[in-house]
Amino acid sequence: MRNLFFVSALAFLAACGSGNKPDEQAFLESLDSAAVEGPEISEEVISSVLQQIPSPLEISVLLKESGTKYDKQLLNSPDNISKYNSNYHKALNLGIYGTDLGYTNIYEQNQDGLDYMGSIKDLADGLSIGQFFDIETIGRLATNSKNLDSLLLITTQNFNSINQYLQEQGRANLSVLLLAGGWIEAMHITCEVAASDPSNKELQETIGSQKIILENIVLLLSFYQQVDQNMASLLTDMQVLQTEYENIEIVTTYEESTFEIVDGVMVIKDNSSSEIKITDQNIENIKNLIGSVRNKIIS
Amino acid sequence: MHKMKKAIYPLVVVGMLMAFSFQVNAQCDSEPYTSGCIPKLASGFNFLKSYKIDGQGGTKTKVEYSYVFTKGTQYMINVCATGESTDGIVVSLFDSNRNKVVSSKVNDQYISAIAYPCNTTGIYYIQYTFDESTQFCGGSALGFKR
Repeated sequence: MRNLFFVSALAFLAACGSGNKPDEQAFLESLDSAAVEGPEISEEVISSVLQQIPSPLEISVLLKESGTKYDKQLLNSPDNISKYNSNYHKALNLGIYGTDLGYTNIYEQNQDGLDYMGSIKDLADGLSIGQFFDIETIGRLATNSKNLDSLLLITTQNFNSINQYLQEQGRANLSVLLLAGGWIEAMHITCEVAASDPSNKELQETIGSQKIILENIVLLLSFYQQVDQNMASLLTDMQVLQTEYENIEIVTTYEESTFEIVDGVMVIKDNSSSEIKITDQNIENIKNLIGSVRNKIIS
Repeated sequence: MHKMKKAIYPLVVVGMLMAFSFQVNAQCDSEPYTSGCIPKLASGFNFLKSYKIDGQGGTKTKVEYSYVFTKGTQYMINVCATGESTDGIVVSLFDSNRNKVVSSKVNDQYISAIAYPCNTTGIYYIQYTFDESTQFCGGSALGFKR
């Protein structure tokens, strides 16, 4: 209520001002801060759902392992950063750039990676979380492909630290946006590749299996729909995507697992299985929907 | 009487310091264990997450996290605690229907790492319990490879 009054007062002042053009960025930021009233759901619940969302790095590794060539055109240009002025857009695009960085790292495209790192650092600074990126160390690691493992490790740790910090600071809404952005970008890349190579059934199955993660993202966004207009709008888009996903069936057959000990490691044999029923048309529809949501975010 | 007070004062201070020190020791600093666990992921595995295992001195019986595992991906979860062993920390994996996939305690042995080639995409629950643990404190890392 207090925030509503604040926003109304700000809008009134902007409308009745002395003729000077209002500071658009300050206004957007005030809208952002007004939105972070916090949902009624507990932070523990939000945190427990957030932690389940898999790293976009898994999809980048899948793409490389399946023989897909590196394609920079699929990514969001790091030069687009100047377009992102509100915290909402900064957080979503931080997630998008995070996925793009992981993609460039996996393909060992170090110069491209450094460009993304620069934009990531700027966005993170804008959200007061820039302290988690050690540009110098990352830059040094990126100069040598032998450092790939360290580079992947340090960037993953940085993003994990950010998510933990945001949740501890009561800014889990930004964490939700960051993870949602990362997921949307991973989906965009995967769908584009899958649509151009319908013979790659593994990619199609991966897209189908994202139904489970989409459920989590929809749930997380729904926590904020009453307190954040931007997140409510994104939720609506995600719900449209979810409707398309209702056409995809995941059939799971459970069998008890077995194991053996190999060199001190317990290696499990998963005897359960799952079948994902997805068509080329489903892929096309999902690709178009994801593309549309992504365009709204990156433009 | 004044001399007596003078003599007791250092004892009180030392006592308070000892009590504080005990409290600090009782707290679980899992950070060295989580960071120590990451390099112990087997070769070829990419780091995903690190998990704190804080049994709060034995008052908590289990610590649980969850993660969506993807079909066709192999995951590794390892456990680190004081010394070389897992200090009685057992990691168990449950699928989305809460069916137990595996537990790292076998024949009274505590296995410190499990590898899971996933056949079924879904939410999995990674549960840590304490079995004759002394510190109730450790860390864990989750990695993946295709």
